[in-house]
Amino acid sequence: MNFLAALRNLLLSAVLSSAASLAIANTYEAQLPAEINSAPELCKYAPCNEVLPGATSFSERKGQPPYVEGYAEEGGKKKFVGYVMLSTDITDTPAYSGKPVITLIGMDTGGHFVGVRILKHSEPILLLGIPESSLVRFNQQYLGKFVGDNIEIGQSRPEENITGLDAISGATVTVISQNQVMMTSGTAVARQVGILKPTIREQARFAQTGAKPDWATLVKQGAVQRIVVTPEQVGLPRGPQPFVELWFGYLNHPELGRAILGDGPYNSLMSGLKEGEHALFVIRTGGKESFKGSGFVRGGIYDRVQVRQGADSFTFRDTDAFNLYGIAAPGAPAFNESAIFIVRSKAFSAAYPWKFVFLGNRVDRATGARSFANFDTEYWLPAAYLEGGRPEVVKPDAPWVRVWKTRAVEIGLFAALLVAVGTVYGFRDKLTRRATRKNKWPVNIFKYSAWIISIGFVGFGMLAQPSITQVLTWFHALLFHWQWELFLSDPFIFLFWIFIIVTVFVWGRGLFCGWLCPFGSLSELLYKVGGAVGLKRFQFQLPRRWHNRLKWVKYFVFFGLLAVSVFSMGLAEKLAEVEPFKTTFLVGLFNRSWPYTLFAGGLLGLSIFIERPFCKYLCPLGASLAMPSTFRWFGLKRKQECNSCKACAVGCGAQAIDEDGRIDHRECLHCLDCMVLYTDEHTCPPLAQERKRRTKAGLPLTPIGADGYYIPIKPMPARPAGKSVRAQPEAATSTH
Amino acid sequence: MVNPTMPTDPVNPPYAETPSLVRLVAAEAWDHVWPWSSHGFQRQRAVQAASMALALAATVVWVLAAMGQLEAGALIGWWFGWSVFEVVVRLGSKPYVKDGPWWGRRYRVANTMDMVCYVGFKNLLIGAALFLALKSLGFLVVQG
Repeated sequence: MNFLAALRNLLLSAVLSSAASLAIANTYEAQLPAEINSAPELCKYAPCNEVLPGATSFSERKGQPPYVEGYAEEGGKKKFVGYVMLSTDITDTPAYSGKPVITLIGMDTGGHFVGVRILKHSEPILLLGIPESSLVRFNQQYLGKFVGDNIEIGQSRPEENITGLDAISGATVTVISQNQVMMTSGTAVARQVGILKPTIREQARFAQTGAKPDWATLVKQGAVQRIVVTPEQVGLPRGPQPFVELWFGYLNHPELGRAILGDGPYNSLMSGLKEGEHALFVIRTGGKESFKGSGFVRGGIYDRVQVRQGADSFTFRDTDAFNLYGIAAPGAPAFNESAIFIVRSKAFSAAYPWKFVFLGNRVDRATGARSFANFDTEYWLPAAYLEGGRPEVVKPDAPWVRVWKTRAVEIGLFAALLVAVGTVYGFRDKLTRRATRKNKWPVNIFKYSAWIISIGFVGFGMLAQPSITQVLTWFHALLFHWQWELFLSDPFIFLFWIFIIVTVFVWGRGLFCGWLCPFGSLSELLYKVGGAVGLKRFQFQLPRRWHNRLKWVKYFVFFGLLAVSVFSMGLAEKLAEVEPFKTTFLVGLFNRSWPYTLFAGGLLGLSIFIERPFCKYLCPLGASLAMPSTFRWFGLKRKQECNSCKACAVGCGAQAIDEDGRIDHRECLHCLDCMVLYTDEHTCPPLAQERKRRTKAGLPLTPIGADGYYIPIKPMPARPAGKSVRAQPEAATSTH
Repeated sequence: MVNPTMPTDPVNPPYAETPSLVRLVAAEAWDHVWPWSSHGFQRQRAVQAASMALALAATVVWVLAAMGQLEAGALIGWWFGWSVFEVVVRLGSKPYVKDGPWWGRRYRVANTMDMVCYVGFKNLLIGAALFLALKSLGFLVVQG
């Protein structure tokens, strides 16, 4: 009875612990109310009080980009305590999944982050492999930090004034993107409300060219720019007309202003501007969507257009807009909406590049939900209109560039490893000729080195274990939002996949699976070590008939995951736990709940007795790579006699050689053992037979040719006396 | 006698011996997009006829997607369904695959897995190209 009770408790705890780890992921693809994206009362739909401690009431959305103000009750009076912002109101930065992590951010009146709450994410890695609590802990690092600090992922560098945040191992791309979301959102609101002072830029000194350009010249020079938004970009059905087509340009420069407005209107406009104020025109030449919108009527702010320069945003109030009645430049297009906007800030300078931004909403046609989207075009006054030309502008590196720069040494080493392994394998013929069945070290020294580097440096060090989840993520990103930057943010995985794709088509999957896969290497290394320490007598291969059945399981696993991913990416990611990679390398065997540890540990334990059981029978990644390996360009060599000789087949650890001596390139892991035998004149039966025959007949042992046989001895006619030797045509006969 | 230098027995499709490279490339291109053969029709009339109807339906599905009247999920489902059927059709009508480099002339008998790999990979490339083209042109509805 006690035993049954104990068993029941054990099973119950197993189920509960599995369920608990599943339940943690409660914001994965969470259903949010559609109003959260557009309703003026943001905090009616979002837990604002959780990110702004003490706040009991909140304003409606205000400003551009929008934020809300939070108030606490003190002595019956409202006290302003800070701001709350929804990240997707401000930036649509996608994370690894190609979709944004929707984050609610609280900031106090001094510009310090006081609360962060993830409302929804689509990050596959946070489903099971890495608990969602890791991202929560990552976000907690922002609490108390000032929005104006230089906050980056990695170690703090006080000498460069950089505050570092601890990343989440295995989710680097997600946290880089999250940092971008936090800082972009925080600084956008902080600048808007005056916590961060705008950057003061040196004002432009205009150069005179003496010309009065027409419209075509202005376009060619880049002095007027165009921004086009198509219906499909905002989730509407495709149509012949753009959603909106706008032209815009800078007017303060006398020659440009006069060319565009005409002398009278230009003089009149400039006479009304104070120092540090800048005018620009906007005309709509296509589409029906108004760029003025109707928001300014309610709030006094034009909510569809904005100017951005560096980190500064400039919005327009109703007092910043004037009517534009016509364009003087010959050849200007007809327009049906127009305005002149005034940027009233000394932070803006026409000497530096800036962007005109059209702020829109993207409608999900399936759900009707709206999400933030902006469309911009850069403008930089042509050099000819600036005294001394354009100033030098050093743009900050993109996040992925910073990752590549900060990890340049490791990336270089990793790239060198990939090139080295590819090169060594390219010269496999030379290596296998130096090796024999009894001494395979000329090959194995390279292979074993690759395994050890792969396990230590690539797997445990760089956490660069390729996985089927990456294939599924790419599939999703392809469907929704492909961004090269996201994949470049993880340079090791990025380089690894280039290597995998190239080598699979050239040689088949065996080079990656057999030489460089960290888990595969660990698995086979355990098998080799097991054999070396006296466990050889316990090591075995599955009978051929069972192997031939079980090898298909991995393909079913792969197709199963692929099919499930079409319906539910989340479920597919959970099922992808069939790969023990996360447990082994990303999270650690002893950092996960015991079912995962037991599974990964069990597979590794089994590897001591069976060569690569996971790779042969379960690995969905291996299956996905095996399929294109069917069409590899260059396979391994065979002799006709291989159809009856079993020498190679018996020694094939991957059991990839069938009873007819044929190699199944989908199963071959490129151990090269059969290639060592291929040119081993003492072990390869047909070659050994020929060696013995020649030795007995007193014939020379010529070198072994590419076909795996001794180069034929060509009979030559006896040389007549007194005649010189001439080259003979190649004999058609051979002695093998 | 089994030829162990190839994973399956060597076989030559009708165009394999043509000396003209242009004809060979054209014939191979036709092979990729046209899974039927008269030989296959004689062997399995019902399957081949049904496959033609299914291929027509799959084509209509692509056209509907191009007209913005079909969602991505439905399109992927149809394309996958057609791919499964194409495997069956090809095993009856053109049961061979190329072995080795794409620019070579080595062909061999296709077993079921070879054909699954061939059709899967080919249709993945065709489907991805069409899918991305339709998506970038804004024809295709992709749920976010």
